[in-house]
Amino acid sequence: MTLSTSNVDVERAQREQHERRMPGDAGRPLSQSRGVMRTARIVSTALVALWFALPFLPLVLWSFANSWSAPDLLPMSVGTDGLTAAIANGAVAAFGDSLLLSLIVAAIATPVGAMAARALSRHRLPFGRLVSVLLFSPVLLPPFAAVLGINVVLLRAWVPPELGVTLVLVVVAIPYTTFSMRVAYAAYDDGFDEAARTLGATSRFALWRIHLPLIAPALARSAFLAFLVGWSDYLVTLVVGGGQLVTLPLIIASSASGIGNESSVAVLSLSAVIPPLILLGFVSRARNLNPGRQ
Amino acid sequence: MTSELMTSAITLTAVTKAYSAAAPAALQGVNLDILPGTSTAIVGPSGSGKSTILRIIAGLEDANGGRVRLAGRDVTALLPEERGIAMVFQRPLLFPHLTVLDNVAFADRAAGLSRAQARERAREHLELVHMAEFGGRSPNSLSGGQQQRVAVARALAAKPSVLLLDEPFSALDSGLKDEMHAMIGDIRAAVNPTILFVTHDRDEASALAERIVVLQNGQLLQHDTVDHVFHRPASLAVARLLGGKNAFAGVLEDGVHHSAIGAVAIDAHFSSGPATLVFRHEAVTASLRLSDSRADVSALTARHTDAAACHRLGPRELHGVVTAAVQRGPRRELLVRVGDADVHTEAAPGNLLSIGDPVSVNLPCEALWTVPA
Repeated sequence: MTLSTSNVDVERAQREQHERRMPGDAGRPLSQSRGVMRTARIVSTALVALWFALPFLPLVLWSFANSWSAPDLLPMSVGTDGLTAAIANGAVAAFGDSLLLSLIVAAIATPVGAMAARALSRHRLPFGRLVSVLLFSPVLLPPFAAVLGINVVLLRAWVPPELGVTLVLVVVAIPYTTFSMRVAYAAYDDGFDEAARTLGATSRFALWRIHLPLIAPALARSAFLAFLVGWSDYLVTLVVGGGQLVTLPLIIASSASGIGNESSVAVLSLSAVIPPLILLGFVSRARNLNPGRQ
Repeated sequence: MTSELMTSAITLTAVTKAYSAAAPAALQGVNLDILPGTSTAIVGPSGSGKSTILRIIAGLEDANGGRVRLAGRDVTALLPEERGIAMVFQRPLLFPHLTVLDNVAFADRAAGLSRAQARERAREHLELVHMAEFGGRSPNSLSGGQQQRVAVARALAAKPSVLLLDEPFSALDSGLKDEMHAMIGDIRAAVNPTILFVTHDRDEASALAERIVVLQNGQLLQHDTVDHVFHRPASLAVARLLGGKNAFAGVLEDGVHHSAIGAVAIDAHFSSGPATLVFRHEAVTASLRLSDSRADVSALTARHTDAAACHRLGPRELHGVVTAAVQRGPRRELLVRVGDADVHTEAAPGNLLSIGDPVSVNLPCEALWTVPA
């Protein structure tokens, strides 16, 4: 009896794995559009792409425009006046503060969200449904009402504004991290942890060597959402921070409210758009990362 | 008592498990003793508590009551990693972010060995399952059968005192299953672990195990040798669960069973009273009765004599007519009408029997057994 399996079998298995399609997968006859619908699909895709991309065009042009007035179609002179003005406005410090704030929010909200998601999806919690609703309340409540109330509480409790902003933003971010981790845990097979434990791994060893590597892509997506909460916040930073914490959105808003500094606003806006795009690139790469694959 | 506990690889004492107060108990006071170096199959219908037993032994579930001992050591309160067991699940559950080799090296890494040492030992275990050349691959690139081989190697690398297998080959096709069974034989010859496995496949149970545990509704019905659970079932339920098709309620008097198929002498020391006659359809054969084309429903050559002298009675024959025939591979299963009863048999080799044929059914002495009515 031959028990060893030839390479041919392996290649066949790999091919089958690759070719295996589930109902509803892309490329199935039912999910392919034909004729008029195909044209409609292509046109609508192009329109949506244009809708998303078009606003960035004047932004890019304005960033390098030293002067640009109507009715000219393109900037009259190109230069770095906008950049200089933005830096003079404190853009570098604001960028640093925004980055630090967003990273801290992500660093706290991601593990908390992951633990909440795991508890909600794996354990029968007392009042589990109520806990789920409470977790989502920061998303449901009108932010103005909540933030203005909290503002007073934090002031009375002598909480430093930087800490106050972080605390509130973490609360705002947790629903997002919890939700995205719940989706991940719905697809996660607890059997991996069980297998690890029966092989002699302590809970800590199994957590670091098996559990975390397997949910890492989901954690990255979750952290990205939490980062965005911190990165794009204006209201909480303004009201709770009380002007002590000046982040990029605050500078953009104050610059945009003035007249004649369109070019500096464009530079600031671009610097606000680029970091999330870079992170998005990393996150989408992480999804396909499989260290075991040779 | 103590010495008995010391010699057993696995001892369950009055183990009870209920997943919730509302649901019926998954296990009801199960007692079980497994000797070291043996292979034991747990069979039973789905929901009978088969997997629950394994999970309680592994420490993946807590029992509500009772004790679990492994090699005499009470492990009831220990965590899975402290029990010295390893488990192979229905799904291979290979860690997708590790190579095949590092999957097998996992237990040694968890035990604190260096990466190089763990990999060296992992190679030996991959060889044991004939997967040595696949060490550098990703688990995702392997077929289902290959993945399950690696899962077995990974479990063996943990040097378990007890290897638990939870329907490990049920997802594989029959050819692969045969390969896996051969592999388990190789492993037993090489390292001889105590094996306890769950299966819903009676053929697999008898191919891999010396002993079979029969479970139903969380209760242990019988724990005996393969031959005994098939041919000497403890109850009608066991006979039915293991695919026994012939059961005839009746009365046993002085070693002769009287039922709808007539009087049949039994070679066993059963006390008289109500009893159900059982025998495997695979163990009895029907052949064409040329002497008499008319089915004689009352003709019965089983003669009433001393029960202990079953063998001296000569052939026991039932006469009847074939009412249904199904070909199963090389075998032909028949339903034969005898009196008011239906007897399941197989056609004797060379007998191309079909519906309506008059046949005589030969009942070998060894095939006959009775269970409490």
